[in-house]
Amino acid sequence: MRFVATLEDGVEPVEVRGEGGRYRLTLGDEVWEVDARLTAQGIYSLLIGGVSHVAEVTDDGGACVVDVGDETWVIRVEEATRHIIRTRGGGPAGHGGQTLTAPLPGRITHVAVKPGDRVEKGDTLLVIEAMKMENEFRAGMAGTVAEVRVGAGQAVNAGDVLVVLET
Amino acid sequence: MKLAKVLIANRGEIAVRVIRACREQGITPVAVFSEADREALHVLMADEAYPIGPAPATESYLRIDRLVATAKAAGADAVHPGYGFLAENAAFAEACAAAGLVFIGPPPAALRAMGDKTAARRLARTLGVPMVPGTLEPVASDDAARAAAAEIGYPLMLKAALGGGGKGMRLVRAAGDLAGALRAARSEAAGAFGDSAVYLERYVSEPRHIEVQVLADAHGHVVHLGERECSIQRRHQKLVEESPSPCVDPALRARMGEAACRMAKAAGYVSAGTIEFLVDPDRNFYFLEMNARLQVEHPVTEMVTGIDLVREQLRIAAGEPLGYAQADVVARGAAIECRINAEDPFGGWLPSPGTITGLRAATGPWVRDDSGVYEGCTVSRFYDTLLAKLVVWGADREAAIARMARALGEYKVVGVRTTIPVLAQIVAHEDFRAGRLSTHFLDRILPGLTAARGRLRSVAIIAAVLAEYERLGHHTLPPPAPAATDAWRMAFRPGAGGGRR
Repeated sequence: MRFVATLEDGVEPVEVRGEGGRYRLTLGDEVWEVDARLTAQGIYSLLIGGVSHVAEVTDDGGACVVDVGDETWVIRVEEATRHIIRTRGGGPAGHGGQTLTAPLPGRITHVAVKPGDRVEKGDTLLVIEAMKMENEFRAGMAGTVAEVRVGAGQAVNAGDVLVVLET
Repeated sequence: MKLAKVLIANRGEIAVRVIRACREQGITPVAVFSEADREALHVLMADEAYPIGPAPATESYLRIDRLVATAKAAGADAVHPGYGFLAENAAFAEACAAAGLVFIGPPPAALRAMGDKTAARRLARTLGVPMVPGTLEPVASDDAARAAAAEIGYPLMLKAALGGGGKGMRLVRAAGDLAGALRAARSEAAGAFGDSAVYLERYVSEPRHIEVQVLADAHGHVVHLGERECSIQRRHQKLVEESPSPCVDPALRARMGEAACRMAKAAGYVSAGTIEFLVDPDRNFYFLEMNARLQVEHPVTEMVTGIDLVREQLRIAAGEPLGYAQADVVARGAAIECRINAEDPFGGWLPSPGTITGLRAATGPWVRDDSGVYEGCTVSRFYDTLLAKLVVWGADREAAIARMARALGEYKVVGVRTTIPVLAQIVAHEDFRAGRLSTHFLDRILPGLTAARGRLRSVAIIAAVLAEYERLGHHTLPPPAPAATDAWRMAFRPGAGGGRR
């Protein structure tokens, strides 16, 4: 089966063959013989040429975070045809704006801007309280506040649109 | 009197810690839980557990009326408040006393004297304990704060009068930032401690945060158990603590310990408490505040002194004398604690609530895991992010550092992001290894810290691809043995387990 792994530093086609814990993976032109065991949910034991690795794989919004040894990698894995369909579609919406979405569930404790406000990069837009910490969210660019979709005191879910900026 | 049944008015790892001490003393532990915590570890481990309200702490763990009523209904004779929540709330201690319950902590008067940070500063001034300049009283208004700030000078610190653990604390660099910082500090203080009062203090550059553990019984005996170095902090939240401090020699330890005991005595303090000091680069120390409770980082003191602080709290609450003097307290070796928080250290340190799908804690020689979670449990967004405290002991600091690096490598958590990768980088850092610490250590090194990436790239890709292969229905990996995931359940409550969700 063919996959495409997307990392911060590149895109790798990967082919997997095998079953029952023994696999042959082809990464680019390298071939890896892997003896893999799922030892607990998300905790993999990989024996590769006698070297023992334990990898933790945590799903994080469609990508996976892999902790192995002292390294942490964020990797999106897609079945190859799905990757092709996705990347052939249009690029990111290019209206020159920034949509701030809630990265985690929480409660809005303070909204510092209103529609029409001019903001500079780094200005505080709002404050979300989650897990007893107040987290300030700042503008990633200079622009004008087009929309404010939340108010102080409101509970929000991860992914909710909070503020829309326009250049 | 003998304590027979203790209600623990807390949750998470500290509730588990107190339950363990109770069990070892033959005391029946009683847990309380919010609606979000029905399946929390402390509920599973206690002999009895009672609901106290909805998930927000203000409607459950901060509800004095419900906690006291629950303790009475359960037939408890004492209440242990843990840390945070109501641990330093004199009204709670008084409500317990009024209901005939022993409050396991200082008497209400000492709580008012020491727990209220401004009152503690007045006491320190009276006793001639050195102090950083600042307001002795909480500031009543923004105008009062502006006036006081102009006198103290910038940069300065805002601190919650009833605070601790970094909540309600803000560094203000310039006058223009004061109003925003006041609002944030008051709101955080109100949410965390039920009181929004804050005070101002001058900011000392490159300080170390070093605190002294004291134990006082109800018969006037006070001893100190040496110091903890807690300089490794981020946004005033400690991340790594150790005992002894690499910068404290026996002479300085004796002076700081003497000052700490003097303050505890003068405040009529009883139980375990901590006097926090700032130590400047010239090794002058300044009283910062007293934490009238058990500290999160108490285990490092336990590891070097061999004294179980929660056991001592229970004994002292029962009216027993300490039974030992200062000369009997001997520290040996070095201990380090790392806080494993559900935060994404490479993603702006955002909290990472979720379900812990996979968990394997570090074990082995001289490793202690004070945890409040188990595999399959949910990390709620309602409470703080501390999952577990990993503590090690070594014959000396170098051995303890090597052991901590080893233990962090063994600790596996899947399902939520944790501070483990950044903790591993901290203990490997040359400044940490050399003991060159200040409270700015983390701020200084964090911008340069990224997820380590190098030779294991291909291995990481293999793991990610196999996980996706598995997820797509190719169940070719041998599944985990069911016994492994249920081991925790059998470990402490044989026969008590229900079905897994």
